[in-house]
Amino acid sequence: MMSTSKKPKLLAISSPGGHWIQLTRICANLEQNYEIVYAMPDALFKPSKQQKIYTIIDVSADDKWKLIPCAFQLLRIMLKERPQAIISTGAAPGAVAIMLGKVLRIRTIWVDSIANVKKLSRAGNMVLGKADVFLTQWEHLSNGKDILFKGAVL
Amino acid sequence: MIFVAVGTQFPFDRLVRYVDEWCGANFHQGIAQIAEGQYLPKYIQYEKFMTTDVFNQHLHQADLIISHAGMGNIITAVEAHKPIIVMNRQFELGEHRNNHQADGLEWMGQLPGVYTATTQEQLLALLNQMSDLKPAQGQAGSRRQALTDFIDQAIRA
Repeated sequence: MMSTSKKPKLLAISSPGGHWIQLTRICANLEQNYEIVYAMPDALFKPSKQQKIYTIIDVSADDKWKLIPCAFQLLRIMLKERPQAIISTGAAPGAVAIMLGKVLRIRTIWVDSIANVKKLSRAGNMVLGKADVFLTQWEHLSNGKDILFKGAVL
Repeated sequence: MIFVAVGTQFPFDRLVRYVDEWCGANFHQGIAQIAEGQYLPKYIQYEKFMTTDVFNQHLHQADLIISHAGMGNIITAVEAHKPIIVMNRQFELGEHRNNHQADGLEWMGQLPGVYTATTQEQLLALLNQMSDLKPAQGQAGSRRQALTDFIDQAIRA
């Protein structure tokens, strides 16, 4: 059997709900160029057949002690999957993944949720200056330097 | 044809009633997805819940979508190039656990093809000028394409 040329691997991670909807819409456009592995904290979620999804612990920035087991889960996933890049739309678990990606020297991309129109999200502020690429979905929140606006899911 | 959808988590009787009464007074056809709501529409059709297929069918047949402030409905409507009016649930009226739908209206209203109402008056004003409500003109797709093209480049950089 012919082996197909291997696509670079992407780890896509977000919280459930609106963050996840945005993440999947972005990834739908990337799927032809990348092999995408997902991580999301929702055990009840039923993925479509094509998607490979790791279930992780749900954390918010308010319960910081849970960030530690979440970080270990993500570390295991990263060491196993060896993604070329990590992309997240938020919130806290995505921020943890970006921090780990920085340590492991994996390229990291943060897309701040479209729901954050007045100011950047709390998780976004945590990874600002740490993610290799930091995107907002609102032009007026961009500073043209480390906070970029290049488009939006809607 | 107007398609009202309140999501699956909670009822939103107020919204269903406003649209039902407006359709009755203006001889307009409509269908509503009302969840476990107590108010049963008198003038338009309704179902409590819909499968995704049935939901999409109604959405594509409608000229106008009216929805609670849920991201899923907004994305679906914008992708289908349908104008959508969004109304927020109010915590004070016991319609939701918190007021995040009210906060959401702020950004939703800035999206192309998305109109927002927080009161009955605002909703009726929008309904009375229904033919002026315009869908997003392919703009949503191009904004998303620009974003993902940039991300694609950024990963390889």
